Amino acid sequence: MNPMVFGGVQCSRSTSSDLQPASCANSSGQAIWEKAEALKRLGGDEDLLRELCQIFLEESPKHLQKLREAIADADAQATMRAAHNLKGELGYLGAAGATQAAQELEDMGHQQTLSRAAEVFTFLERELASLHIALRNSDGASL
Amino acid sequence: MNIFQPGDGMELPLGNKSGLPNSVLIAEDDPIFRRILESWLQKWNFQVTAVENGLDAWKALQQENAPRLAILDWMMPGLDGIELCRKIRNQAQGAYKYLLLLTARGSKEDVVAGLEAGADDYLTKPFDANELRARVRAGKRILELQGELVKAHNELQFEAAHDHLTGLWNRGAIMDLLHRENQRSARIGEPLGVIMADLDHFKQINDSYGHQTGDAVLREVAQRLLESVRNYDYVGRYGGEEFLTVLTACTASNLAITAERMRVYVSEKPVETGTGPIPVTISIGLAAQHAVGPDLAREEELVRSADTALYAAKASGGNRVEHSPENLSTDPVHSAALR
Repeated sequence: MNPMVFGGVQCSRSTSSDLQPASCANSSGQAIWEKAEALKRLGGDEDLLRELCQIFLEESPKHLQKLREAIADADAQATMRAAHNLKGELGYLGAAGATQAAQELEDMGHQQTLSRAAEVFTFLERELASLHIALRNSDGASL
Repeated sequence: MNIFQPGDGMELPLGNKSGLPNSVLIAEDDPIFRRILESWLQKWNFQVTAVENGLDAWKALQQENAPRLAILDWMMPGLDGIELCRKIRNQAQGAYKYLLLLTARGSKEDVVAGLEAGADDYLTKPFDANELRARVRAGKRILELQGELVKAHNELQFEAAHDHLTGLWNRGAIMDLLHRENQRSARIGEPLGVIMADLDHFKQINDSYGHQTGDAVLREVAQRLLESVRNYDYVGRYGGEEFLTVLTACTASNLAITAERMRVYVSEKPVETGTGPIPVTISIGLAAQHAVGPDLAREEELVRSADTALYAAKASGGNRVEHSPENLSTDPVHSAALR
């Protein structure tokens, strides 16, 4: 497996076999999401965190779809906006790898250089898939 | 006032001081951040209005009793946070709004752009509860200070225009009102009149019963004068025991009727004071504005005419109403008939 570097965060291409249970690391050893960090930011309010995870599970596919379309249309402005929205939410959940990728896409949109966008998008999509699984597994059980 | 509950670090004593409604507007298109803000602010006992875009925020802020504290996301569809700040600041009237801008960018240029657009403060995502609480608290403090300032300003304005003893307009204010109403009446072609009333033998009341009783008499007479005119007429204390009333949209004959009603109402029953009932009477001189255009009598002339008539009433023994000579030439109602 060839490691890819996204903005200094080293990760490897995840495959379906890399998808692991809740709060486990991705293949680069980085946690899919830092639940403790997110909970701390919410002042320890577990109910609120559960609610936010629910909202994220519902909303993020829409953001991802917008982002996919923006990149396909080579629309830098729309790419920046969609990536920006995703970044905010991901940052809140402490999903470092995905946040980093969203940040890169936002920057690419901002600089109007989308040549590597599809590549980063693929990575982001996989990170999000892992995150969805992690959040679902986390919901109800440990939360 | 303190709503802190032990064991819950999220509580914030944000009381409803100085009548400020404890309400806040959130404009945020992202459902996660909207929910976080809503949840925290509600926990801190705020009444929260949450909207999803700038246009809805603008509409919410235009309503009566709209929140005065607004948390606005920078990036929103339609009207974004920056444009919204500008739009709110361009609005001249209405209570001051405290605007807290939310941004996911932390660059210096963005912060400067936000503050220059009219934001009072900004908050960078992802923020935590403590930071939001501190920023919101600072906003409330500013709004409370501003509320106190407006209150003090209004009180000063009232004091500057009112007579301390009687609560009537003071001399400066009643003359300003006369000036304004004189111009306005001339412009719309409505008759205007002034009534100068003076307490008869007030010096004797002061000498016999003392100044405290004298003051009580002045207060009661002021009250009776107010009660005998329409609630949109202006009654002022012109001097020691002299009262000037300005009546708009009032014909010369109605002016005479009103003056007579004042005279009767004041003298009808004695004034009850701490030193017993004291019978009082007033003398009245009145003057009507009877010209328009370049011949318009200035307010000083009107007052002088009414004063001259008042002296005539005094010279005839007091407790009576006299017209100014100018009125006699144009007004069919005779001063002799007024007694």
